[in-house]
Amino acid sequence: MSNVNCTLRTILLFFLIAFLVTCAIVCRAATATSAPDAVALLKHSDTYRNGWPSFVTRVKITNFESGRSDEEELYEVSQKGTDKTYVEFLTPREKGRHVLMLGDDMWIYLPDTSRPVRITPLERLSGDASNGDVARTNYAADYTPVYVRTEKVGPETNTEQCYVLELTAKRKGATYQRILYWVRAEDARPVKAEFYLTSGKHIKSATFDEYVDSNGKMLLRKLTLYDEIRHNSHSVLEYSGAVPRALPDKLFYQGRSDRF
Amino acid sequence: MNPAHVIALCVVAAGLAQCAAAQDPPAQEGSAYETRYSIAVINDATFYANTAPHVPAVLNQMLVEPTFDLHYRQRWSFSTSLIGGTTTYTDNTTQLHVRETYTGLSVGDFDFTAGRKLVRWGTGYAFTAAGVLDPPRNPTDPTDRLNLNEGRDMIKTDYVRGPHAFTLAWSTAELARSGTNLHDTTAFRYNVLVYGFDTALIAGNDRGSDTFGGFTFTRVLGQAWEVHGESMWREQEALLLGAKYVMHSGVTFIGEFYTPPNTPYYRDAGVSPFAGRQHYGFLYAGKSRLRQLPGWKEWDVSGSIVTNFDDHSYTGVFDVNRWFGTHFSAYAHVQVPAGGRGSEFGAAPYASANSFGVRFQL
Repeated sequence: MSNVNCTLRTILLFFLIAFLVTCAIVCRAATATSAPDAVALLKHSDTYRNGWPSFVTRVKITNFESGRSDEEELYEVSQKGTDKTYVEFLTPREKGRHVLMLGDDMWIYLPDTSRPVRITPLERLSGDASNGDVARTNYAADYTPVYVRTEKVGPETNTEQCYVLELTAKRKGATYQRILYWVRAEDARPVKAEFYLTSGKHIKSATFDEYVDSNGKMLLRKLTLYDEIRHNSHSVLEYSGAVPRALPDKLFYQGRSDRF
Repeated sequence: MNPAHVIALCVVAAGLAQCAAAQDPPAQEGSAYETRYSIAVINDATFYANTAPHVPAVLNQMLVEPTFDLHYRQRWSFSTSLIGGTTTYTDNTTQLHVRETYTGLSVGDFDFTAGRKLVRWGTGYAFTAAGVLDPPRNPTDPTDRLNLNEGRDMIKTDYVRGPHAFTLAWSTAELARSGTNLHDTTAFRYNVLVYGFDTALIAGNDRGSDTFGGFTFTRVLGQAWEVHGESMWREQEALLLGAKYVMHSGVTFIGEFYTPPNTPYYRDAGVSPFAGRQHYGFLYAGKSRLRQLPGWKEWDVSGSIVTNFDDHSYTGVFDVNRWFGTHFSAYAHVQVPAGGRGSEFGAAPYASANSFGVRFQL
């Protein structure tokens, strides 16, 4: 009888241990596969390029062809909220030009044209770094994010755990139809991105190279855009002088003729 | 409207705006003063082919165009843009023109402007029916390539609230160049962006002349289309409809149809007063940065044609521009008019006008 009890106890103990081990494995697997909040991640990642609700910054774009500096352009960007951006062109070749973005609508002001000109979505893609790359940096407002996977990115000596998000355009004002976006797992800092057109064509890639503490905010300082159609061409965007500034709504009025 | 009433309204609005501004939160700024400046130096030589015997075949213009803008705390502004030029044609002349010089005060939702200013209310590219204060459009040179257009002398008040903008302007013709067909103009404009339509209603009066009213719109459709239009009633109706199409390659097409009445205000100098309502067409094709490749992206190329459908005359225009570095560019601009001797474009006293120039931009 005691042998029977002993056997039963052993079997019960075995099942108990097996049950606990199974629970631990299942819990661990569940923890490992629980997806992060993609929307929160995207909103947080946007703060590295949009430090304040209303601010002014300068962007210098240097275009490189076959590794050699080819062109340099300078812009002053004034941004308010997620849907009002005003870009002033400061290089001599483009001096007097302005781009205004209001929600899904964009205008360009050319000093030698008789009126503000509406920009079609296709025109947003013109240039090595497109108008949209400079004027539309609030991805959370323009795209719907979905968590895809977690992966390590970077050189072997300095890999970073990143979440990969797939962003799909949710409004017609978005510059690209789809973006694959790598953000650092620990702080949602953007690491790299791939940009796709409606046709599915992979048009550009980006690496978010340097960050700097600016007026108490950690902000993007250097971004490199690689042309995926002409592989020997890339553009470096350097951000500087970002300051919060109360910008009046009327700065973003499309009929305002005295730009600047 | 009596000009005195307009000025009184502006003063009252300024008082109201001061009260509103007192409640505005203080703006955080990097610097109290901001400035912008630019200088363009252009030498443009135009060679006329097959001119009449007594007409010189070469026109040379040397232009210096400085601009300066000063802003103080996003509240007060001063802007000036001048044109100094030496023209060599039948004789040598040197002139200084004021393109724009105005001061502005921004208070709350109000903006007040006084001085000579370029205002662009029309949405047309080559023509305008509703640009009552705009510089005149020249369909063979819609971009005003030498920047010779001058503003109107005016007092203007803008009130901008959300998507709504109201403008009241009074412009005097007292200081305008002699020979222009300008009147003292009082004009009101309401502009709103609704469902993607950038729409404006315009009404006003030319002193001793017409009362007018009309509207303008622009709208982007899909990925590649923009449509625009203007309609204005001034004795009779003037209508403009246009569209822009952008290809994936960046080539841009603009087409416009314009029909003005044959009234003194709208009539072009080359059109007979008895010719009746006129109908014009405009077609443009162009590409800036010819290709995104070194050696190509310095080039801008465009061609256009403007035609009068009634007398079957037209002018073809071809432009090419090349940049050399950041500050220098060279260009060619060719105009070829065609049509009967008595037609609008065919009456040009030359077979072609070929302009070549160099430009320095700082």
